[in-house]
Amino acid sequence: MSSLKVLTKALAGRSDASLRSLLLVRPDLAEPPAVGFAALAARATSRASMSRALDSLTAPQLQVLETLHLDTDVDAGIAAGAADLAGYLRGGTVAGVQSILAELAERALIHPWPEDSDPSVLPQYLPVSSLKDVIGAHPAGLGRSYRAFAQAGSAVWGPHLVAVAADLRSHGAQIAPAATPLEAAAALAGWVEQFANLDHLLLGAPEAAAALLSRFATGPIGSVPPSARGGALLHANLDDDGGTALGWLVSRGLLVPIDDEHVELPAEVSALVRGGWLVADFSPEPPAVELKQASVAVRNNASVSAIAELLRTTADLVAAVSAAPVATLRTGGVGVREVRRLASALRVDSASAAFHLELAAMASLVVLDVDTSRWVARADGWLSRPRPEQWLWLASAWLASDRVPALVGAASSLASAGTGINALAAEAQRPEAPALRRRVLAAMAELGAAGAAAPAGASGSGQGPAKAPVLDAAAVLARFRWHHPRQVRRVVKLLPGFLAEAELLGITGAGVLTPPGSAVAQQRWEAALAQLAETLPAALEHVILQGDLTAVAPGYLSPALAGELALLADAEGQGPATIFRFSAASIRRALDAGRTGADIAAFLSKHSATPVPQPLDYLVRDTAARHGHLKVGAASSFVICEDESLLAGLPGQPAFAALGLRLLAPTAAVSTASVQVLAAALAAAGLAPAMLDPADNVLSVRRRAVALPPPGLAPYERPGSGQGPGGTDSDAEASDGADSDSVDAALALLRSRPAWQPHGAEAAPALVLETLGQAIRRRRMVRMSVVDSSGNTEELAVLPLSLSGGRVRTYDEQGERERVFSIHRIMDVELEPAIDPKEDPHG
Amino acid sequence: MADGPLIVQSDKTILLEVDHPQATEARHAIAAFAELERAPEHMHSYRLTPLGLWNARAAGIDAEKVLDTLLTYSRFPVPHSLLIDVEETMARYGRLRLEKDPIHGLVMRTDDYYVLEEVVRAKKVEPLLGPRIDPLTVVVHSSQRGALKQLLLKIGWPAEDLAGYVDGTPHPIALLEEGWTLRPYQHLAVENFWAGGSGVVVLPCGAGKTLVGAAAMATSSTTTLILVTNTVSARQWKDELLKRTTLTEGEIGEYSGAVKEVRPVTIATYQVLTAKRGGLFPHLELLDANNWGLIIYDEVHLLPAPVFRMTADLQARRRLGLTATLVREDGREGEVFSLIGPKRYDAPWKDIESQGYIAPADCVEVRVDLPRDERMAYAMADDGDKYRLCATSETKTAVVEALVAQHAGEQLLVIGQYIDQLDEIAERLNAPVIKGDTKVKERQRLFDAFRRGEVSTLVVSKVANFSIDLPEASVAIQVSGSFGSRQEEAQRLGRLLRPKADGRSARFYTLVARDTLDADFAAKRQRFLAEQGYAYRILDAKDIGGASE
Repeated sequence: MSSLKVLTKALAGRSDASLRSLLLVRPDLAEPPAVGFAALAARATSRASMSRALDSLTAPQLQVLETLHLDTDVDAGIAAGAADLAGYLRGGTVAGVQSILAELAERALIHPWPEDSDPSVLPQYLPVSSLKDVIGAHPAGLGRSYRAFAQAGSAVWGPHLVAVAADLRSHGAQIAPAATPLEAAAALAGWVEQFANLDHLLLGAPEAAAALLSRFATGPIGSVPPSARGGALLHANLDDDGGTALGWLVSRGLLVPIDDEHVELPAEVSALVRGGWLVADFSPEPPAVELKQASVAVRNNASVSAIAELLRTTADLVAAVSAAPVATLRTGGVGVREVRRLASALRVDSASAAFHLELAAMASLVVLDVDTSRWVARADGWLSRPRPEQWLWLASAWLASDRVPALVGAASSLASAGTGINALAAEAQRPEAPALRRRVLAAMAELGAAGAAAPAGASGSGQGPAKAPVLDAAAVLARFRWHHPRQVRRVVKLLPGFLAEAELLGITGAGVLTPPGSAVAQQRWEAALAQLAETLPAALEHVILQGDLTAVAPGYLSPALAGELALLADAEGQGPATIFRFSAASIRRALDAGRTGADIAAFLSKHSATPVPQPLDYLVRDTAARHGHLKVGAASSFVICEDESLLAGLPGQPAFAALGLRLLAPTAAVSTASVQVLAAALAAAGLAPAMLDPADNVLSVRRRAVALPPPGLAPYERPGSGQGPGGTDSDAEASDGADSDSVDAALALLRSRPAWQPHGAEAAPALVLETLGQAIRRRRMVRMSVVDSSGNTEELAVLPLSLSGGRVRTYDEQGERERVFSIHRIMDVELEPAIDPKEDPHG
Repeated sequence: MADGPLIVQSDKTILLEVDHPQATEARHAIAAFAELERAPEHMHSYRLTPLGLWNARAAGIDAEKVLDTLLTYSRFPVPHSLLIDVEETMARYGRLRLEKDPIHGLVMRTDDYYVLEEVVRAKKVEPLLGPRIDPLTVVVHSSQRGALKQLLLKIGWPAEDLAGYVDGTPHPIALLEEGWTLRPYQHLAVENFWAGGSGVVVLPCGAGKTLVGAAAMATSSTTTLILVTNTVSARQWKDELLKRTTLTEGEIGEYSGAVKEVRPVTIATYQVLTAKRGGLFPHLELLDANNWGLIIYDEVHLLPAPVFRMTADLQARRRLGLTATLVREDGREGEVFSLIGPKRYDAPWKDIESQGYIAPADCVEVRVDLPRDERMAYAMADDGDKYRLCATSETKTAVVEALVAQHAGEQLLVIGQYIDQLDEIAERLNAPVIKGDTKVKERQRLFDAFRRGEVSTLVVSKVANFSIDLPEASVAIQVSGSFGSRQEEAQRLGRLLRPKADGRSARFYTLVARDTLDADFAAKRQRFLAEQGYAYRILDAKDIGGASE
């Protein structure tokens, strides 16, 4: 039986709608379109695709799949149905399990078996054959059976089991006599089966034993405390178990030492530990979590203040970076010193400066200039936008970015570094970050909706202020674990960072998802903009000038006004209102930038809500009056000459007209020409000048900044980012990659081919691999045709031994030798009929 | 939330828009937990500090009230991290309590085992503690009460001091309110102080701090020790107490370099207390000489370091600190708070002025240009000499003459730092000069003559910075100062702030040499007053003596 062929037929037999939903939930099957059903089946059963598909399963789906995997035998064609499985799942009903099985079949992870079963009874299913390769070593957190230990071939475990069984028997346990490892395994399994429950089994055990066993709920491998290491465990026996719970369990064979530091819980004991169930924590519905509540007013306060702060700091950052580009280190990323410089410019701490720098880079507001290895500001497109759009630009960029700012400062994996990860360093990149962020937000939205619904009904009064649930990390993680159990390990480290960043971005406020936040999470951009526009106050066009030489901006200033004030005065403080302090130095800075005293006075009186205080007015006038005592000009070279009359004659001479000579003093003149040109010209005129040390000349060579194309489009406006403005709600999963157009194309291509094309380019190797793998597991001969390097085809019957790295190792009985073939040279392969049924353990 | 008078900043400052209709309401609401930092004309700024928040807790205001106040009056959303921070900070207060135990004496108690455990293990705290009575209680050496409180504050677990005060020896004292009454803000200051037990009252110069002290003594009615800056000030206290209270000559003693009397009310100078002989402070025992029920520290911002240390041992006695400018150039405001006590009352100068209790003042900065030769000398001088050179410029003397001529007929002070300069000015103005080596008797004589109007112009050095009461002085000309000292500037202006009989406003000139260190220091010096709302007008020396000034 070929699982691949069955799956191919099953796929071909599906309706268009069913295929479409398959391609939507497993987008890698649609892109690029598969050329036929065989190719589709081959791709669907490939390791990579299976792994992705398992990642997207919810906890109950995965649990049912694992149970099905344990309860069936693909090679022998032993299938199982909902009725069989429900018995293993605590809290599972036949109908519930059946609907989950149908979902799994829909995802092409399992298929009904036998193919021609009676449609009136509940179907039986088999998982696709490649499932065992991807489901992991311990499906459902179950260890090996005693039999598997005995078969595993270790020189240690076999004798260990025999010794344990003999020891138990000699101490009067009701256990069958055993001489070989396999017999001992059967005897131990039989002995364990006699016990009705765990308490019965643990009668007389140290108190800690039950607690110890309960720690094996999610995985069968446990690590031995250092004190118990050193080989003593293997020799623990009933007379001398060391007095510990661990020794007690090991000496009775209830835990099997697999090496010096680890023990494994045999599957038979797991069943007792889990109270007879295979899956003790089966929950078809997401677990309900008790959430703290925060008032809507607090949430709005927190989120709007965060948004205002974010935009203000980002604008400051852009200004700081455009004033002085940020240098990168040779080892990659931006160094601590540069981050500290930014932090002091932004008046925040270093960690927060690093986050804002990362965020600006995500949003392409700062970009790496590859010529200078500096990050430069390219934010014109962003700065000119209204504030809600600015926010959306940042939030959508964050959502789509594979950068993880929270990792900045974390211990670097580079052994040599010993320091933290630098800002904007490649190490803080996680390709899965966008998908994880979206899934976390989806989980949060769901939690929020669930939490909001419950207490409203409970309180009933409707009198108190509106409340919303606080989504703490534990609750989000629990929900995430239910939705994506296989990804939880990846997200668990990143989640606190995500949540903190969401708070900084105002996607959540006080831990509660905000309306604009949830709109962004669902990529409803227009809705987010509309909601935001109501909450962000309009820009101010005035400041309050005070006699202590400060200007207070009582709120958000229009960018033009803020920019001009930043030139005239030094900003202080951090918050919704900025305080600008005027000083002679700051006024001088403005004068240097080309403002005049009158300009500044006019600007101040125009934008002041109050009369300009006399001291400020005086400061401006006094500074302006004395500005420019020193005058600076540009020249390339100079001539000094004690003979005033000689020097005075030089500028007028036609020969020197091109030199741009100008007298600065009776004995000194400057020229716009270079030293060499000037000296040559003077020498040519017979004046024989002496050249001064060229180090005296400071040539200012300013590198021309490389013009990069301005990023005109915000991340959320670029093609392929969700469904764009005005889009409607849809399954968040769908946006992982497949859109409905590509699904249609894939479907059309599929339908254009006959159902089964065994020699399709994509299907053939998959089929060969499947058959070889099956043959190896069942120790069966295969008959295959192989092409050699000169193109000759050879037919032969061999026993495959192992399969790895694109090669198969075989034993050729006729030639009595091993032969290795490349998979791609195998044209066709078939299983030989079984010769000796006893040889097949499943037979 | 749309239009409140407050803007709450994420750097923990709060801006208050003074002209807002709700401003007064908001000011009262936040004054309980935020420190007034600056009070310029339109936007006052307050700061949230752990100290301020803990004081509020001590006064019975909980975190919810604080958050509610902020959210109610704030114009913009309040940064969430700040709200959380306030809540967490306030929750730290009172986890530890200092209590009197009938058996063990002074003990520190807690309901939170872990906090006590953390504190007890702190290296510096350990030697101050006695044996552990039970998991939640530990004995405190009673002499270490102040030191312990100070340390606990530093490590962020302020203790609530419930151990109370010693009563002191009773001694009847009452105010003689004949022809005058205590002003409302003085009442409030005394009430706040008494309710809090110990602490500092901050009032502008000339606003009647001595009366606050007298009223506190009357409330306490116990023997009292008053610590003052110098002998002249000690005499002033004595005169004032004789005039305003039922105390008689025989009940008030002076303890100074010249006289050493210990009476029910004793006025001592900081100087004599800190006089060191053979490595010892022979006069320190004065602090224990009498069972004082109240100790008053005048000009607490000048409290010398040894007195600080002694004060740590006096935690069981009520302590009142008085000052106009709680700005210490050595940055030890925190120690004043933890040893004398928190600020119990503070009023912006301009508020008292608008109520008419201190004279309005017009501050003028006169800028002079250094003549060419002085400029050259200045440019070539060592850094150490630069300030003296520009501050004592000759041109200033000429400007002083012009200003004195302009204010002929008014009581006028010329204040400076450098004796040579003062001598020269005195000679040119033909006015008496009071400086460090002037005898106390001579000083008294000159001040009295000035008060009576017999002398209209006095040239004084920094000896007249504090505590010298010259009610009729209405014009002061500052020619130089101690570098950038903010409190000196404020104290010098303070000399003019006694309300004038005819309601005139005071005029404070400060002469500054343009483009020199003098100008930089002047800007620093003026900051305190500018933040109190005193806007300096700036004049050019060229404009003096002309026009309508």
